[in-house]
Amino acid sequence: MLGVLLVGCGPSELDYRPNFLHAASLTRESADRNPTEIAEQAAALTESWFGSLDQPRWPSGQAEAVRMESVLRCAGPVGRLADKVERGVFRKHCVTCHGLSGDGLGPVSMLLEPYPRDFRRGTFKFKSSPVGKKPIREDLHRTLVEGIPGTAMPSFRALEESEEFANDVEDLVEYVQFLAIRGEVERRAIRLNLQEGIPLETSEPRMQEILSDVVGKWNSAPSEALSVPEPPAWFTTAPSDEESHLEWIQKGKLHFESELTACVKCHGKTGSGDGASQDYDEWTKDWTILAGIDPKHPKEWKEMKPYGALRPVLAKPRNFHWGAFHGGKSPKEIFKRIVLGIEGTPMPPVARAENSNPGLTDQELWELVYYVMHLEDRS
Amino acid sequence: MSSEVKFNFVKLWSWLAALFIFPLIWVGGLVTTHDAGMAVPDWPGTYGYNLFLYPFWTWIYGPFDLLIEHGHRLLGSWVGLLVIFLCIAAWRQEPRRWYRWACVGLLGAVIAQGLLGGFRVVLDERTIAMIHGCGGPMVFAYATFVALASSSDWKTATARIVPRGLWSLSWILLASTVTQLALGAQLRHALPSTSPVGFMSMVHLHLTFAGVVTIAILAVALMVRRSPYAQEPGLRAPANALLALLVLQLLLGVGTWMANYALPWSETTGALARYVIAAKGYWESMLVTAHQATGSLLIASSTWLICRVGRRQFSLVENPDPLNNPQSTGALPRSISAV
Repeated sequence: MLGVLLVGCGPSELDYRPNFLHAASLTRESADRNPTEIAEQAAALTESWFGSLDQPRWPSGQAEAVRMESVLRCAGPVGRLADKVERGVFRKHCVTCHGLSGDGLGPVSMLLEPYPRDFRRGTFKFKSSPVGKKPIREDLHRTLVEGIPGTAMPSFRALEESEEFANDVEDLVEYVQFLAIRGEVERRAIRLNLQEGIPLETSEPRMQEILSDVVGKWNSAPSEALSVPEPPAWFTTAPSDEESHLEWIQKGKLHFESELTACVKCHGKTGSGDGASQDYDEWTKDWTILAGIDPKHPKEWKEMKPYGALRPVLAKPRNFHWGAFHGGKSPKEIFKRIVLGIEGTPMPPVARAENSNPGLTDQELWELVYYVMHLEDRS
Repeated sequence: MSSEVKFNFVKLWSWLAALFIFPLIWVGGLVTTHDAGMAVPDWPGTYGYNLFLYPFWTWIYGPFDLLIEHGHRLLGSWVGLLVIFLCIAAWRQEPRRWYRWACVGLLGAVIAQGLLGGFRVVLDERTIAMIHGCGGPMVFAYATFVALASSSDWKTATARIVPRGLWSLSWILLASTVTQLALGAQLRHALPSTSPVGFMSMVHLHLTFAGVVTIAILAVALMVRRSPYAQEPGLRAPANALLALLVLQLLLGVGTWMANYALPWSETTGALARYVIAAKGYWESMLVTAHQATGSLLIASSTWLICRVGRRQFSLVENPDPLNNPQSTGALPRSISAV
């Protein structure tokens, strides 16, 4: 009886979800274009290079930017085969939030704040490279191991510290890069068709260029990473007296309130995250403002819901009094956030005084870091 | 006159079976928490070995997911063995025909659960995993009923209370806890392809039924303290257990959400803003698993309440209690003597 009932059950074939939202945001003004059809064509084209969800592959002829051995371990359904090697690591740990395609549309996504990251833009927030550049492996690794406080992004430190799952984090870093590269190529295929008018069936030469460009950016990321200078001696040693401590705080406060850094605009005068400026992140602007949609008007943005749009939410400036830094709370990480900004968010980089360019010197930047870190003590 | 008193094996095996099903559910919950359902790719064997002959040290020192999945199977086999013992004892000692068949039914339910678990592996089908996850607490509730029906309370309780809605409320409570379990299983076993809207609706339904269960338990707690049920101390125990489990379950529910997804309003306090979820952390895993296991305890306790109320009331509906009826001849009515 039970056997009869279970006939027809079996592992269902899952596919990458085409990037409907991007196609819909680009076709909003042209009624004659069908976004669903274009997104599906782009997904099929991308699959011809990157393989399917369960059997990914690296596009032939391209310099390898990720370790495919790791990608294969992370892809597909969860479980072990006769060799006892665990597979499907991404589905085991990440898919509930980030979704099968890394589109940030996992089952639970709608209930989270902030929303899970959509990797397909190839944009990452907490990294060592300047805006517009790709993160390095260590950046993704750090986010996975440290997690992001106050959010649904957990710390996978326990995996790394256990012998049997020690490779999981490294493998996930590779798979996230794979999804980001695949997703960005898919987006650019959609744009090629909709903005340059090149039919996807005949786009092979241009797509090869795009592929090389995206892969090249990831491969060149390590050479573009910022080398953070060591903090000055006064920063690392405890202040010898209250007077010096207050002096550094005072200096940091001046930078915080200066027009050059404009920290106050978003973080507020007291650093509580209550500044006057409010804005959306780039993931939201991508399908709202850039598509001529006002994210504040439900009537307008809701027309994108069928394509996978989630309710637009304003980016929240950090409240420094909580001492919870999403990109890491070490002085060097905070230094990076200030100097490099947080890509995809309204947090811009603060100009660094180099080669007679106006900006803050490293000494001044450390004073600002010192001030931001010590705001927590006042709460 | 014979002084020989037979040891009640039916009671022993029925209680042991019910008691061991709970850890079985707990380990099964751990399997889900760690997504270890496919840690052993074959069934009914384990990596080609007979289930019982898989090398002990390889199991103990193997990967954690293999440890719990194989352990779950072994524990399931042990429960099956206990229920077989129960059936044998019931057939030899138990005078109540319906009870003997109830034991056989329990054996069938345990076997069906085992087969579901097996099909989940062989077909690598997460939907079956969800059905298997829902089936566990059902079997637990059934085993609880079988154990309770062997108890002295079942055999000695007399029908003497006037129905005032507790019987219906108990069934409403059972139905609510079972529905709540099914909704929770949908969340626990959400497929990667589940839509965000579908998942959110399920969360809202789960929260709604948490409210229904809360109201039902509070109503039960209130009713057993008022006339006509206040004179029946036997009703207090399941009602109090339900109340305690409810408080625990609500706390575990909030904890489960925090351990999985953090709170959406985490920026309200420093502690919440700084809290970092530990993926597959020991306490996080235990918290989530405990939420599921406590759900099954709520179902079992609802069953307990039904048994207690039913034994004190149901017969009265059909036959007035002869012991408290001055016009009675003193003979037990059939409905009581038969059960």
